[in-house]
Amino acid sequence: MNEQARQILAMLAEGKITADEAERLIDAVDRQELASPAGAEPRAKRRPKYLRVVLEDNSEEAPSHINVRVPLQLLRAGVRLTSLIPPRALTQLNAKLDESGVPVDLTQLRPQDIEELVDQLDDVTVDVDDPTSKIRVFCE
Amino acid sequence: MIPLLVTAGYRPAGRRWRRLYIPVPLVVLVLSPLLLLAVIGGLIACRIIFDLRPIGALRGAGQLLWALPGTRVEIADGQMDLLLRVR
Repeated sequence: MNEQARQILAMLAEGKITADEAERLIDAVDRQELASPAGAEPRAKRRPKYLRVVLEDNSEEAPSHINVRVPLQLLRAGVRLTSLIPPRALTQLNAKLDESGVPVDLTQLRPQDIEELVDQLDDVTVDVDDPTSKIRVFCE
Repeated sequence: MIPLLVTAGYRPAGRRWRRLYIPVPLVVLVLSPLLLLAVIGGLIACRIIFDLRPIGALRGAGQLLWALPGTRVEIADGQMDLLLRVR
């Protein structure tokens, strides 16, 4: 017998409630316990499935609205495609980037790392508020 | 799951939506002979021209295709509204 039921019986014994009321209260306690069994794990947080980009431009001359929803799985698939780029092409890309003043070594960028990055996107929220426009990037 | 229905639509300013519904499995079935040729051509091009692993490219393309359902792009500016939805 749990604590709540014991309290109800005590109230009945003291004459504070009638037998009918005690029965109804005990039923209510039982229903509550069935709905959330003791020791049950709290529900796991739902993992986001989509990356959303919402842009609202309220400028006078050309108001526009862009709403993009991309499955995170699509990003992961795209990342896996990068592993197909041949090393020769990466070397050429590195040289061109270096010429443009972006000294990035793409050969050091492994798909596993990018995939990890995509996995961590779940909690990313970017809000940009401007007097005429608003940009939101988030996962849902 | 592969995309089942692709909806593409546009609406010129002040006019009604014009939508095109593309049932992907049906289109793939109808165009399967051409698609087969295209895939074979693509695989050969991967190997000879782009120096890519054909099997890897095929798997990557398949994963992309499988991940497409749920994609939605809506662009609305003063002149025209565009919509692309993959289900």
